[in-house]
Amino acid sequence: MILDIRYLALRLGQAVLVLLLAFTAAFILLSLIPGDGVTARFADPALGLSPDQIAEIRESTGADESWISRYFLSLAGFFTGNFGFSVQTGAAVSTIVSAALPSTAVLALSGFLTALVLAVIIAVLATFGPATGPFAWIRRVLDSVPSLFISIPVFWLGILLIQVFSFQLGLVSVVAPGPTEALVLPTLTVAVPLSAPIAQVLIRSITEVKASGFVKVTAAKGASELWILIHAVVRNAILPGLTIIGLVFGELVAGAVVTETVFGRNGIGQITAQAVTHRDNPILLAVVSLATFAYVIINLIVDLLYPVIDVRLRRQPSAASAGRKSHDASTRRALGTTAGSVGVDLGWAEDKESES
Amino acid sequence: MTDLRPSTSARAARTPLGRRNFLSLGLGLGTLITLSACTPTDTAPLADGQPVKGGVLTYFEPQTWTLLYPPSVGFYPNGGIMNNISARLLWQDPETLELHPWLATKLPEINAEATAFTFTLRQGVTYSDGSPLTPENVAKNFDLFGKGDEARTLPVSEQISNYDRAEVLDEHRVRFHFSAPSPGFAQATSTMNAGLLADSSLDLDAEGFGPGGATQIHTCGPFHITEETIGTKLSVRAREDYDWAPPHLDHQGRAHLDGIDYLVNNEYSVRIGAVLSGQADGVRDVQAPDEPRVTEQGLRLYAKATNGINNSINFRFRHALLDDIAVRQALIAAIDRQEIVDKLFTPNYPLATGLLAKGAMGYNDQSGSWTYDPTTADRLLDEAGWGERNGQGYRVRDGQVLALSVNIALPQPRSNEVQTLIQQQLRRVGVRLSINPGDQSKQTLDALDLDTVQIYHSMVARADYDNLRSNYSSVNRDVFLNGADREDAANDSIDPKVDELLDALAAEPVTEKRQIAAEKVQDYLVENAYVLPFFEEPQVFAFRRRVHGFATEPVGRPDFYSTWLAGEQ
Repeated sequence: MILDIRYLALRLGQAVLVLLLAFTAAFILLSLIPGDGVTARFADPALGLSPDQIAEIRESTGADESWISRYFLSLAGFFTGNFGFSVQTGAAVSTIVSAALPSTAVLALSGFLTALVLAVIIAVLATFGPATGPFAWIRRVLDSVPSLFISIPVFWLGILLIQVFSFQLGLVSVVAPGPTEALVLPTLTVAVPLSAPIAQVLIRSITEVKASGFVKVTAAKGASELWILIHAVVRNAILPGLTIIGLVFGELVAGAVVTETVFGRNGIGQITAQAVTHRDNPILLAVVSLATFAYVIINLIVDLLYPVIDVRLRRQPSAASAGRKSHDASTRRALGTTAGSVGVDLGWAEDKESES
Repeated sequence: MTDLRPSTSARAARTPLGRRNFLSLGLGLGTLITLSACTPTDTAPLADGQPVKGGVLTYFEPQTWTLLYPPSVGFYPNGGIMNNISARLLWQDPETLELHPWLATKLPEINAEATAFTFTLRQGVTYSDGSPLTPENVAKNFDLFGKGDEARTLPVSEQISNYDRAEVLDEHRVRFHFSAPSPGFAQATSTMNAGLLADSSLDLDAEGFGPGGATQIHTCGPFHITEETIGTKLSVRAREDYDWAPPHLDHQGRAHLDGIDYLVNNEYSVRIGAVLSGQADGVRDVQAPDEPRVTEQGLRLYAKATNGINNSINFRFRHALLDDIAVRQALIAAIDRQEIVDKLFTPNYPLATGLLAKGAMGYNDQSGSWTYDPTTADRLLDEAGWGERNGQGYRVRDGQVLALSVNIALPQPRSNEVQTLIQQQLRRVGVRLSINPGDQSKQTLDALDLDTVQIYHSMVARADYDNLRSNYSSVNRDVFLNGADREDAANDSIDPKVDELLDALAAEPVTEKRQIAAEKVQDYLVENAYVLPFFEEPQVFAFRRRVHGFATEPVGRPDFYSTWLAGEQ
């Protein structure tokens, strides 16, 4: 069985704990910042309120209560789905966040998929590209692309893309773009730095797998480069890539802050940037919790995917050696080849015969 | 653009171009090429013809609006919207600053003490939700603006002082009563901070006036809010039935434009680029270094006066280091205002000739009061006991360094650069100035603390004598922190004279005497070296040439009622 219920329950429990810890840490850190949003908003000289009036407002908003009672109040609120009200505008945090969430989700998804495609293309060309001949430079250049991509500042890339594609070439409007039009440049902005670590890890792991014995044996048997890539390398090289995908999600959130500001998209990133400047702690708490939640869920999914992709990581290691048929023929072949290269017969020979 | 100085090329020749160098060269060149390439110049005709109806104006704001509760619309993005969707009892001419009727049929009848104001309302005015303008509704508006409602976190308007109650006299008339003279009230009814709201909108709380609820706000101006995308866009459209423009204007009836789309982008290069490339029609807040670029591209550049207190620094005299007038005079003599204006700004930022801008009510010419003279500054500081210097060259007295701290006024243009320049100027006379870092919230909070900020950089605009009181009084903005019962300063360090003079100004009902009272306040502040004004702060806008008839209200907020777009049907 690939999915272990007990394991799943354990991981979900951990996820809840992580969420609670993140919430608490965020709350404590935000409380440590001198000054609070209520004072920051109402003591603004532009409003011209007297200290007495500010004191009254502070009292009516509960800003003067002790931090521990505010902590439990907001924690209880979070469990009941009441995220409180923005200090800056007075609007419900749930309204602000739910208005911002779809745009960020779409940007994150498209940015992530683009990054993935970019990373795979870069990694495959950098490892399977022509090693000799007039086009050998492609391989060398692509090999250094991840370090270039990771060094590009997101805000700079965003501004540059707007300058070129919108202001100079007039291909994309920044004023009243359609839904797809509005997504193209931000997606590229998010995807480029995001693709770098994925591509880098993929390049390294593909190189490593390519150097291992079973690949050499397969090549010696006359398999083409493409056959090796698809049947022998992908599955073994993808695991580190999967791990890094889970980790770069954090960068996706950070990238959204800058990208949404540059492109004027109302998303989680932009409300975060504004909440920070206005000491809008209820919004920041909600954003931190939301980001933690997404991060935990994505890494949980990644962890659950490991055993699906790699049989060696399944809970019952005996299954393979006991000759139970794995669901995937190519895996068995790859494993069989590996085992064969070190002189171990897995007893899968008849399967291989019958299939080939 | 390529740097051809010998040293550079010699070094390049010595070391072969590595891959890294090659890549960074590519990045740098890419930026240079794209940023320096020219967008097409705007060549549409500049001359105004007959206004045409139609078209939606797209207009960029640097920040999203926060609250459309009228007393809180001093924040520029809020004011730019409220000024166009709301109508007021009176209308103030932005040029002459005279008051004219608008929703009131004539100027109010005011009693001799300026404690009762009677307005007669215009007939047939409706709000965008269809409800009529009635004396009851006007009374309800001012009850809220004049008293505020802490339970709904709706603050009182800083422009309305001593408000007592409203009294509905008959079907057309309403009278406002004040507990003490409030001569500034008539002007207060003309500002966007007194934009009238329909009954349904008056029941909203702070959340209702915030983002997400804009379409629920019903007003009776030439435009009304039709669509809101939180954080990025707000659309207002012309009201076809609008027929109550100020009679003083030539233009009557519906607005020329079909509507305005207010767009928000925090990134300056995107906003200015959108207008330069012709994607948007206008932008607010063009920074001084970009003014030549905008005019070179053929765009219209407007620097609109804000007619208020000049962009100034205020010396908080209650702090131990600033309580000596000689020290304050020395600081003033050590700062070269002309250098600030010349180096950092354009001729659209005229050097201040008084505490108030030339166009402001109560303006008093004090241009000879601030002379740059570092020699005098050195002498004054030496005489005040700060003759000793420490190892770094800063002045010391009894082991204490003459070190002061100034805030960054983030809403004001190039405040950080201004302070950096002053820092250098003061360094020359041995005074150490540190610039308080931080974002808007931190600046606001730090500015309330005498030990953190001793020199306060600010400006405020309102086209009335009361502007002085709003800025300097200890019960309003309190730039000097001159209020009683502070933890960081003893009560005997208060200068009671400042509030006394301001109260006398606020209570004076006769206009001519108000001018005299306003001059007294300014003379006192200048004599005591409490303030150093830099320049008259404008609001700078850029518009495409097809945008005609752009105007602003008296303190520089955009007024699109008579604006029109060439080439529309």
